[in-house]
Amino acid sequence: MHITVNGENKEFDTSSLPITTLLEVAKVESPDMVSVQVNGKVIDRTLYADTLLRDNDEVDFLYFMGGGA
Amino acid sequence: MVKKMIDFTEEQLERYSRHILLADVGVEGQIRLSSARVLIIGAGGLGAPVALYLAAAGVGTIGIVDNDIVEVSNLQRQVCHFHNNIGKAKVESAREKMKAINPDITVIPLEKYLVADNIREIIRDYDFVVEGSDNFPTKFLVNDACVMESIPFSIGGILRFDGQAMTIVPGESACYRCAFRNPPPPDAVPSCSEAGVLGAIAGMLGTIQAAETLKFITGAGSLLTDTLLSFDAKNMDFHKVRLQRQDDCAICGKEPSIRTLVDYEQTTCGI
Amino acid sequence: MSTITTDASRDCRNVGCPMNMVYTKVELAKLSPGQVLEVILDDGPPINNVPKSVVLEGHAILEKSRCDDGTWRILIRCGKK
Repeated sequence: MHITVNGENKEFDTSSLPITTLLEVAKVESPDMVSVQVNGKVIDRTLYADTLLRDNDEVDFLYFMGGGA
Repeated sequence: MVKKMIDFTEEQLERYSRHILLADVGVEGQIRLSSARVLIIGAGGLGAPVALYLAAAGVGTIGIVDNDIVEVSNLQRQVCHFHNNIGKAKVESAREKMKAINPDITVIPLEKYLVADNIREIIRDYDFVVEGSDNFPTKFLVNDACVMESIPFSIGGILRFDGQAMTIVPGESACYRCAFRNPPPPDAVPSCSEAGVLGAIAGMLGTIQAAETLKFITGAGSLLTDTLLSFDAKNMDFHKVRLQRQDDCAICGKEPSIRTLVDYEQTTCGI
Repeated sequence: MSTITTDASRDCRNVGCPMNMVYTKVELAKLSPGQVLEVILDDGPPINNVPKSVVLEGHAILEKSRCDDGTWRILIRCGKK
């Protein structure tokens, strides 16, 4: 299946993929520091394992950045 | 329409000439800037360039909140504080530089911590808020308070070589909580040793926030509303993610679950 | 001389670019659409630049004439606000 991640096209040999797996595959170092948006809907962090991505989903990783000083 | 309001001195016309020349700002835009009231939260890496540029731009009244004193470790990026200000209150140090650039403006230094108990009363006096704090509890507190008070604001964050900003018009565009929901778990927030920042990154993001403020006041261009702008200065990649209001947002959604402000636990050292 | 009535006037002799445009914009900001502003400009860059900029901002040049002392007189009809 085909997923867009932060504007880039990605292909996967599966028909559904939990967000937690995508975070691993995408080598996101600190999954707790990322907010995940799927097709415009921001997913609650507690639901990453239960949320399955489908063909043609558009996923955005929004990284927490707390600095400012 | 603006007849009675044009009373710029010759010096002010020269000072603001590069604004007045802009078709999207003009005399009217400069008048709006002169009568605007902006609150800057944090007189640090982001707040410093914001303070200097808003002062230079002639924003009539600028409040600046911070409870820290200037330390030598600040000087690598907090460009409104100088070596001879070490030990001085940051808001006082910032005020001196802002007035030195532009004596016409009024600066209101607020040497205090922003907390759930005082924030709404403080921000209520302003047309626009610039969030430039160094921690998630404050960022979420500012978001929630500005949504409750319907005050538009810019929120930013920096880390290492990266920066991000979004502009929020409560009731119209996605808020910080629409994008991030809740503060990250305290143990996931980068520790001090992982949390350096290239000094100029603070300037890059602070000037983006200052530009958003000036655009909001003058009505020029389109804002970073419903948009998270991020950059990675290592490669100078800029990226925009489109956001939308979330119906289930805890503060600006259809049935907000947050009715009163709370202070989240402060974590780690300031970045 | 033209027969157009002017509503305001600004002498920008000896005023260089871009301050001449700043003063012109200040005067235009005081007028309503349709009113006419007279501006006196120096020869050279001022007369080459100011009328163009004024048009770009949505106003109209009604007249441009050379004065006896070599400066220029332009009449601007205030356009959009």
